[in-house]
Amino acid sequence: MLNILSQLIAGGNNHTNLIYIMLALPAILGLVVILLPVKGYGGRSVAFIGALVINALAALGLLLGENFSMRFPWVHLGDFSIQFSLRVYNFSAFILIAIAAIALLIGIYTVVFMRGKSHYGSFYCFFLLNLALANGAALANNLIVLLFFWAGLLVTLFAMIAIGNRNNVSAAVKALIISAVADLLLILGIAITVWQSGGKMMMDEIMPLPLTGLNNVGFVLMMLGALGKAGAIPFHSWIPDAAKDAPLPFMAMMPGALEKLLGIYLAVRVARDFYALEPGSGMSMFIMIIGVVTIILAVGMAMIQKDMKRLLSFHAISQVGYMVLGIGTALPVGIVGALFHMLNNAIYKSALFLSAGAVERSCGTTDLKQISGLRRVMPITAIGFTIAALSISGVPPFNGFFSKELIFDAALESGLVFYILALLGAFMTAASFLKLGHAAFFGPLKWPHIEESNNPNPRETPAAMYVPLLILAAFCLVFGLGNVIPLAGIQSILGDFMAGHDYSGWPHSMSLVLISLAVLIFAVLNHLFGKLRTGQAVKALDHIHYAPGLHQVYNVAEKGYLDPYEWLMFAIKAYAKLCFAIDRAIDWIYNVLLVKLISVLSKGLAHLNNGHSTRYMAWVFVGMLFVLLALILYL
Amino acid sequence: MGGPGIILVCVFTPLLGAFLLPFLGRISTVLRNMAALVFVLVSFVTSAILLPSALANNPVLFHWSLPLGFSFGFLADGLAVFMAMISSFVAAIIVFYSFGYMLNYKHKNEYYLMVTLFIGAMMGLVYSTNLLFIYVFWEISAICCWRLIGFFREKMMVLRADKAFLVTVGGALVMLIGFMGIYSQTGTFDLLEMNHPLLPNWVMITILFGILSKSATLPLHTWLPDAGVAPSPVTSLLHAAVLVKIGVYIYARFFLVNFSVPEVWHTVVPIIAAVSALVSAGAAIVENDIKRIIAYSTVSQLAFIFLGLSCGVVQGIAGGLLYIFMHSLAKGGLFLTAGIIEHSTHTKDIRQMGGLVRTLPATAIAFACCAFSVMGIPPFGGFFSKYMVINGALLLGNPWLAGVFLLGALMTVIYLARVFVRVFFGPTTHPHIQEGTWEMVGSVTMLAALSLLFGIFINLPASFVTVILQNLGMLGR
Repeated sequence: MLNILSQLIAGGNNHTNLIYIMLALPAILGLVVILLPVKGYGGRSVAFIGALVINALAALGLLLGENFSMRFPWVHLGDFSIQFSLRVYNFSAFILIAIAAIALLIGIYTVVFMRGKSHYGSFYCFFLLNLALANGAALANNLIVLLFFWAGLLVTLFAMIAIGNRNNVSAAVKALIISAVADLLLILGIAITVWQSGGKMMMDEIMPLPLTGLNNVGFVLMMLGALGKAGAIPFHSWIPDAAKDAPLPFMAMMPGALEKLLGIYLAVRVARDFYALEPGSGMSMFIMIIGVVTIILAVGMAMIQKDMKRLLSFHAISQVGYMVLGIGTALPVGIVGALFHMLNNAIYKSALFLSAGAVERSCGTTDLKQISGLRRVMPITAIGFTIAALSISGVPPFNGFFSKELIFDAALESGLVFYILALLGAFMTAASFLKLGHAAFFGPLKWPHIEESNNPNPRETPAAMYVPLLILAAFCLVFGLGNVIPLAGIQSILGDFMAGHDYSGWPHSMSLVLISLAVLIFAVLNHLFGKLRTGQAVKALDHIHYAPGLHQVYNVAEKGYLDPYEWLMFAIKAYAKLCFAIDRAIDWIYNVLLVKLISVLSKGLAHLNNGHSTRYMAWVFVGMLFVLLALILYL
Repeated sequence: MGGPGIILVCVFTPLLGAFLLPFLGRISTVLRNMAALVFVLVSFVTSAILLPSALANNPVLFHWSLPLGFSFGFLADGLAVFMAMISSFVAAIIVFYSFGYMLNYKHKNEYYLMVTLFIGAMMGLVYSTNLLFIYVFWEISAICCWRLIGFFREKMMVLRADKAFLVTVGGALVMLIGFMGIYSQTGTFDLLEMNHPLLPNWVMITILFGILSKSATLPLHTWLPDAGVAPSPVTSLLHAAVLVKIGVYIYARFFLVNFSVPEVWHTVVPIIAAVSALVSAGAAIVENDIKRIIAYSTVSQLAFIFLGLSCGVVQGIAGGLLYIFMHSLAKGGLFLTAGIIEHSTHTKDIRQMGGLVRTLPATAIAFACCAFSVMGIPPFGGFFSKYMVINGALLLGNPWLAGVFLLGALMTVIYLARVFVRVFFGPTTHPHIQEGTWEMVGSVTMLAALSLLFGIFINLPASFVTVILQNLGMLGR
């Protein structure tokens, strides 16, 4: 601790120790929290928060210090050697500080949120292990080391969701399997990338490979691996399921922020550093299509949700679509927009999840049909929620507006249809947040009355829960008005690629801004129309939900028939049954066929040796014939 | 350090000591148990003593030449010591576990006799330099296997023991014909006197027949899931950690060290392995008996080892050898945890289990660690071996094959997650059961911890494998 502080104060050049702290400290304290018999909640919570604070300080130290990389030989296997190499430079430091800050804020919230719940110790443990692995993934400078930390997140992902509901861990299994698919694709992608770049594994040594031949396969696999972590379609469907069962801080932390940070980080590196993605190329088109499909389908599902957590989880998917679209354009403005949007999304999405957690804690439910008007009893949460909702809807001057404008700009340059679909997504996002905010926080006060409840009235949450929310909300404003701060950092990450471009300040194209504002106004009008039509804010989008044609599609989707995971499992199960039949058929050969053959054969032989002297005379005769034959042939 | 006598101690202590155990058992059960453990540990320690000279590429050799190309000899080169150390180490843990598991069963004298004899046969097989003695030790192991599968003496169990015996012995006899083919070609049974002869295809087929039957690969695999009727430590010892590795070890010994094979086998064996990996993984998803699931998983994982060893690319071979190590630890641990579960719940049907994480928390954690290692998820050791094997398939110039094995890896995740969740989560079915004895829980915890530690300190096993390959001349120094 003193060492870190002294280093921070001294502003030393090389913070190698800080790297080790960021990897080892959360992991060790995570294990300490669970293994040591620290009785009671206080000690564990202190260790938990302590780890997060030190991690954040270390990340700050790395951000302020100079770029460097370290390596030592880790694995030497045959002619294959892996350097354990970590690299601190502006991109990784940027991701690290974002992870550390959000982890700290959510951690503070968690301490209050998990109080009195069983297994808080396990949750602390996996939260910290998760943080250590994420730090490693962001720092890795060797593709295998990256994979090591990256795929290790599967363990903590599974565990953190499973903690939520031990009686039904199907959401955890779903998350594990979907993420495993993405990681396996990444494994093959990395193997191809290493092979194609002549055995180079160091991430700062690989030259961008041109997208030809097998390189295309490597690019697509690595990209799918990265986007799978970020939760883009078709790797998305575990998120709404997890929203139901997983502890809420998990939702704010993983699908809300950390997975997006890591996934988009890797996607940008794949598109810029490992492969040369060209604007207008087929691959660029492919990535952009994943982006817009993700935006539209996920936000379409979000619109019809009547539960706050589930609604937010669909937005956690659809926002990735914007980042993917931005990266897919391969234009400077698109990639800057994607990275900025990644940062903004991490901020406002975790804020939104945190406010959902506050509502859940106060009212015992997040079902929008049962709650309303909560701003009267939870004013601070309502303010935090509103700011984050305005940000995600793209209302100026909040941060989401600026990053979305950059992506709109890139989309328009890449094709009108992408721009129109992105705008449609913005309309639907705004509409669903108008519905959500209006239903939950405005209107007459309503909450579910639970008989014999000790705490009949919903109340504002403790400060440890609303302060992190307010800090995040404040960042929504700061990164909006002062967007030069994050954008300067992001633009320096991309280096020469950004030469001659500066996207900070007010968006460059006023006409695009006016179109976006028109879309927002249209969303408000739409909301008012829906509200007037049904009389209830929660039903404000029913005219879209129950529109002819859409209604049927929504029904099918809500039943899970459009879930790629269900398709995969259906195919695997059918395939497994076939394999089982093959296996049983082979076993039948041993158990039945061979036994029968042998018994038939031995019965035949027995028949030839039945004990009658005539039979043996015949044998003697046959034998003599053979002897004669042999004599004739050889003499 | 250590002359040729060390190898004899290593092989014959368990091989002959095994026959002392029934007598010791009449004096004291504790004495017998300890003696069994000590005999196995002697093999481990002596193998460790042989390690430095093996790594220095100056292997210890014990050799008697006999006329007509017959001989009797043991060679402790890197590959043999590697295999011997893994086998005897896991075997020692399993014997220790048996102290708890076998407590309330009859015929323990026979049990420890057979287990220790098996380890002796394994040591003999690993170090032998002569084809005929390899065959002899191979068959001793089959006899032990037969007796141990039918250990509980019910009719169905005895039938399955017979099946395992007939399939593996049948395979070995076919292999023996191949050995005679080698003899007729080279005039010797002594591996040391052979100078990398190119084996004709028919010999390759017969030897492969033996190897695939012992290492339970499609279509000679069905005895392995059936053998789950054995006591769980036996299943772990024979059918996960040690016996099924005989086939892959002999594959490595013959085709990496002693013989050359026609190029076509670098394609054919990976394809056999791919089919075996996929079909058995599919069967594991359907199966409901916990030990059968893990057994199918073994069939599937053995295919990964075959892929690595047979692809003919150094990285794949290194991955295959590393896989032997990681799989022995993790799969041995899985069977032992299955044993604790079976012991506590008196069922093997996962549909009748649930919520055991509440009553068997240590077992649950050990199971999870071993399962993650078998799945190949870092930071567990299985990750590296799986990556290297798949990478080997890719470097063979065959992305499709790598893709097929990735599908196998995905199915591994699915069936192990299914077992884990079915058994340990959901509504509690057995609220009042006890955790296994401390020997049992300690054993599985150790295997789980090693799976994790060797994932982080992967360099230790990886360097070992690298030196083996260097000594085989596959790498520049």
